[in-house]
Amino acid sequence: MTAALTAPQARPAPPVRGTALRLHRALARIWASDPRLRGWLTTSNNNDIGMLFLIVATTFFVIGGILAMLIRAQLATPDSAFMEPQVYNQIFTMHGTVMMFLFAIPFFEAISVLMLPGMLGTRDMAFPRLGAYGLWVYIFGGSAVIIAMLMGLAPDGGWFMYPPLSSAAFSPGIGADVWLLGITSIEVSAIATAIEVIVTVLRYRAAGMSLSRMPIFAWYILIVSVMILTAFPPMILGSLLLETERAFDWPFFQVENGGDPLLWQHLFWLFGHPEVYIIFLPAAGMIATILPVMARTNLLGYGWVVSAAVSLAVLSFGLWVHHMFTTGIPHMGLAFFSAASTLVAVPTSIMLFSWIGTLWKGRARMELPMLWILGFFATFVIGGLTGVMLAVVPFNWQVHDTHFVVAHLHYVLIGGYVFPMIAAIYYFLPLMTGRTRFFKLGEVAFWLVVPSFHVTFLAVHMAGLLGQRRRTWTYESGDGWEALNLIASIASFVLAIGFALILLDVVVNACFGLRGRRNPWGAGTLEWSALTPSPNYGFASIPIVAGRYPVHDDPDLAVRIARGEGYLGDASRNRRETLIVSTARGEPSQVAVLPGNSVLPFVLAVVTSTSFLAPLFGAYRLAGVALVGIVVLALIWAWGLGSRHDEGPVEAGHGVRLPLASESADPPGWWGSLFLLLADGVHFGSLLFGYAFLWTVAPNWPPASYLQPGLTGVVLAGAGAVALVAGPRLAVRAVKGGRAASPAIALGLLGAMALLAAAVTVIIDRPDPAGHAYDATLWLLAGHVGLHTGLSTIMLCFLMARVAWGYASPSRSGEARIVSLWADFTAATGLIALGAAWLPGAWG
Amino acid sequence: MTEILRLSLPITLWLIGFSAVYGLQGLSCSRHGSDDLNLRAVLLAAVVAAIVVQVVALAAVLRAPSRSGFVQATATALAVTALVAAVWTLLPALTTSVCL
Repeated sequence: MTAALTAPQARPAPPVRGTALRLHRALARIWASDPRLRGWLTTSNNNDIGMLFLIVATTFFVIGGILAMLIRAQLATPDSAFMEPQVYNQIFTMHGTVMMFLFAIPFFEAISVLMLPGMLGTRDMAFPRLGAYGLWVYIFGGSAVIIAMLMGLAPDGGWFMYPPLSSAAFSPGIGADVWLLGITSIEVSAIATAIEVIVTVLRYRAAGMSLSRMPIFAWYILIVSVMILTAFPPMILGSLLLETERAFDWPFFQVENGGDPLLWQHLFWLFGHPEVYIIFLPAAGMIATILPVMARTNLLGYGWVVSAAVSLAVLSFGLWVHHMFTTGIPHMGLAFFSAASTLVAVPTSIMLFSWIGTLWKGRARMELPMLWILGFFATFVIGGLTGVMLAVVPFNWQVHDTHFVVAHLHYVLIGGYVFPMIAAIYYFLPLMTGRTRFFKLGEVAFWLVVPSFHVTFLAVHMAGLLGQRRRTWTYESGDGWEALNLIASIASFVLAIGFALILLDVVVNACFGLRGRRNPWGAGTLEWSALTPSPNYGFASIPIVAGRYPVHDDPDLAVRIARGEGYLGDASRNRRETLIVSTARGEPSQVAVLPGNSVLPFVLAVVTSTSFLAPLFGAYRLAGVALVGIVVLALIWAWGLGSRHDEGPVEAGHGVRLPLASESADPPGWWGSLFLLLADGVHFGSLLFGYAFLWTVAPNWPPASYLQPGLTGVVLAGAGAVALVAGPRLAVRAVKGGRAASPAIALGLLGAMALLAAAVTVIIDRPDPAGHAYDATLWLLAGHVGLHTGLSTIMLCFLMARVAWGYASPSRSGEARIVSLWADFTAATGLIALGAAWLPGAWG
Repeated sequence: MTEILRLSLPITLWLIGFSAVYGLQGLSCSRHGSDDLNLRAVLLAAVVAAIVVQVVALAAVLRAPSRSGFVQATATALAVTALVAAVWTLLPALTTSVCL
């Protein structure tokens, strides 16, 4: 159900004086966070969550920077005794881990959570509590990794943890486990945030904001969030395989028992290469946002930039093998990935030329954000070109694992990510703090950072070309690398001083800068029409937009929003409401009621982190209890949503009445489930890929025997899948028709049980997962079925209780549809998993 | 959702086709490969199939245009990109040794 847009000129008569202030006070009370310390633990507002994310990610950046300085101190002179090799291994491993996992991704997530609702013209993110949960999981997981390092228990196998070096035989102790479990928990956090961002961008926008009118950053972050959902699951699977090998001796990477270490490399780089673009694209989105404002014009080639960003994102999934050029892959395979690697230069260039063209048609002003963007241009282009060099196989063979690669990745990541993010911080500082810069340390810092960065990493490039290996703790005098390393180390310390000055500049100006006016840059996007600093409710009413730059189109927009002349400009229902629009055209379609403050996300994050971290100390029983706790808390969380009464369509403003999201067929939870299942599906696909990889190329295959499918298992699987699909669908129909849904739900439960029983037959037939990688894989396939039938069972029981308690009605069938979606997924992947388990035996 | 699929499907099909051809090449050169088959012919057939899929996807985007001019232009650009990517990235099936 959607409503036609009401044109701004058709708005009601001018409101009486004082309306804006009354509305502000009412909304501020409704959206207020709890006071004092409790407020930080219970808040789910995007301003609070984003700011906490930002502070924590910056702290990790400082920690990673200190580790970098230790590395450069060690390499400054030959035969250095500054660090023992064991310590050096931990330091460089932690530097990469902290920067990639604890800083880069959370930092852009922080800016997204802070800024996205404002850019889109909505009041908060789609799932505020999920955002809070993701934040706390990230804080606990990241802190655990850092504490382990301080205790001397850090991983030391490099940030990509290749087995067999990271296997139990060569990395005893818990260092590698800290990495695997800590990083996986952070990936769970990233997936939670990605789902929240996707649903927000697709559904939570200003009225009239069609896809073509979305701010360019929203496109970038939408694309990146989908990439997170599809790139992280292979990594999570890889971590699961390696951890089960280390903990239970399931031999996925042990050649003698049918495993293959190359499987790890495939899974890692299936994540790792898109990860580079997951980091770069948000920065590109920031450039595309900031640069036109600095150039006092609009972005040139908006549609082309969107096309280029989508192309780059998808192409980046076809590059992973270029990290494995020296592993003995046949020439044709190398050539496929070499060709794909060169191809990504095309969409990247389209973006670059769009930005250059934008500068060309505008009148650039040299404000500090613009300086950092120019620093980006100078640096990223060099990093991109050395990337093309590395895409060429013979050159790659020459410089593989040398400092040339180190220099290349720093040019791309610092030039292509850190510089634009600094530009973003300075650009949004007036919006976040309500202040303008008074102290001008930032300019000094810029002229320290950019030149010293180039001195540092040009020297590192040269050292790599001269053959210096990465990850070696020292080198001998006479190798010809002494001067280059000393220059790089001195310049790197200047670089660190520059970064410290930036931090100081931001903090000082945030605290003591001059009170600023609204929209100091003269930008055209919606976030600049809100009060500064942005109040918790964001907009007093949901804006109506008719173009890509609504603030430019309508100079009075900010005042009219504040007076409540948009949608939902009435706080009388006394709850946190915001607008949901149709995906493509941005027509108002539902009213979402967002949850209030709650300690539940924090508590659930504590329990989730316990389930991840307890195995580090062998506390498997505690981990099991924590898993049960997760289920219980998740049920309490879900039970608190929804309503036992039909409210019917509510007045949304401009004479439009809209249904509540909870009384719609496709509530936000359905969309969230859909995208979570996308990640789940990729995880399952990665497992099938791993199985096929081992079956195809791993030495010591085939195993002594294959699993033979029995009639019982096949019948149970087939009948179970059919019942599991049919039951919830019939339940949806029953709820919609106002009939009893229990029999249909019971049918679904029977189906789940039958499918689970089929999976159990696999486990019974192959009781020793430690014997061969094939058996271990069968256990994982059966485990996938077991986990999902378990989830479906819980969901079906939950649905039955909700129906019994009156939480479902013909107009409130959304929960039943969500359960049906999960049941369909369970049935489909369950059949595929069991089919894959039985196929080699049936084939003969 | 239809518009999102219109934008994303052709280039996603490239990724599927690219991965499938790479997987087929790996399978052909593994212990499961057959000595009786002309591997290059099999791979070229797969490449042609992948390119045909992209042509069909492009034709579908052109024949059932979106009501939004922006979506239609972007979807067309992405479908053309996917076709070019299929030709360029799968070209090695024609030019390099299969299993060496």
